[in-house]
Amino acid sequence: MATASKSKRTGKSSTPAYVPPKKLPISFSVNGQEVNAEAPAHTSLLYLLRDLGFTEVKNGCEAGDCGACTILLDGLAMNACCALGVQAQGREITTVKGIGTVDNLHPIQVKFIEYGAIQCGFCTPGMIVAAKELLDLTPNPSRHEIKAGIAGNLCRCTGYVKIIDAIEAAAEELSSKKGKGK
Amino acid sequence: MRGFDFVAPTTLAATLKAAKGRSTKFIAGGTNFLPDLRHQHDGPAKLVIDLMRVSALQGISSSKGQIKLGALATMTDLLTNKIILREAPILAAMSEKFAGPIIRNRATVAGNIIDGGPAADAVPPLLALKTKVRLASEKGRRTVDLDKFLTGYRQTAIRSNELVTAVTFPSPGRNHKWGYYKLARRNAMAITVVGVAVVLKVRRKKVEEAGISLGSVTAAPIRCYEAEKILEGNVVDLELAQKAAEACAAVAAPIDDIRASAEYRKLMCEVLPRRLICQALDISQDND
Repeated sequence: MATASKSKRTGKSSTPAYVPPKKLPISFSVNGQEVNAEAPAHTSLLYLLRDLGFTEVKNGCEAGDCGACTILLDGLAMNACCALGVQAQGREITTVKGIGTVDNLHPIQVKFIEYGAIQCGFCTPGMIVAAKELLDLTPNPSRHEIKAGIAGNLCRCTGYVKIIDAIEAAAEELSSKKGKGK
Repeated sequence: MRGFDFVAPTTLAATLKAAKGRSTKFIAGGTNFLPDLRHQHDGPAKLVIDLMRVSALQGISSSKGQIKLGALATMTDLLTNKIILREAPILAAMSEKFAGPIIRNRATVAGNIIDGGPAADAVPPLLALKTKVRLASEKGRRTVDLDKFLTGYRQTAIRSNELVTAVTFPSPGRNHKWGYYKLARRNAMAITVVGVAVVLKVRRKKVEEAGISLGSVTAAPIRCYEAEKILEGNVVDLELAQKAAEACAAVAAPIDDIRASAEYRKLMCEVLPRRLICQALDISQDND
């Protein structure tokens, strides 16, 4: 679009006409649901997901700095803004909605609510996904390990203390559940 | 933004063939690629090739005393890989300070080198380990010393349509001494003010071989050859460590920026190498 309007403004005939980028088919799964999409190659995975309606993946900085768009790709936490949508071909994506639903909240989500670890809520989806990976890899983290585990997720409201408390409590709950299961 | 074609080959041969004769840019973890893309109105290239599915570029291995990091080895791999933890723990120590855990899951060592930034955190430890960069294009393969590969501010010796396939370095041996320090304004997600890496091979109390390098204080991270020479062949004491540290500061040419002044950086280029050398060799420092 920019190219076409520029040529109108400047009246330069040498400017090539705008050709919309070719769309590529992309198939992957989100929270266990198969998704078939089409997007130009330059579309970031963040934009692709949000355009498909997965708006729980938040757009914060688009530079990998804030962690609001954190998702799991084949189980590994990553910034959705730092991959091309086409790179997700055939992959399994989990967003915060795949970790727990309103009717069936994950213990991390329960503790976030109990501890008041949510204020404006913008960082929460990414924060919970990052916490999920942390607790999957380190079931009984120290407070320092929790801080390090969410180091890539910014929160401008809480000052982090309640988030760290909530993750600590979720870890306790999850490991006591596991103990009972055995 | 102008669009581009995209392919995701699974073999190195198919990758090089796809890149042949076309304006190409490679993508792996994307942690530099995507943020950069937002400022490129003409697009990065006509064709973007995804390397993430090329199995030949994966993995960390060790053979005949050489450690090889495939181009797709991530920072998270450095933190968890047994070969690295045993043979080159300095890389794990660096990775722990690199960005944050989510970036580390995707960011590759090769990508950090290719980006060519002065504050590329993986580079000082790799320079101290005397790393070589393996490159491939449809014209053939070549190997370049990492310090020759970095040619200036965000400039490397990479040719068009050439890609890094791996980096290799000799294992410094299980009894080597090392130190790494990232001086930054925060503990995570921070751009380095001064990065220092020290790798020392010690035999009968003598430093046999030294690798010392600095990041963020020159256009590209730099090896401190003079400082290395001062230590090599000697039983190092505080005085010699100080001399080596002064030699480090002598090659530093830092700039003032939002994170720190040039003056402070220059001073830290003496303090930090001395501290790391002394800590690595168990030399007591009374004036620190």
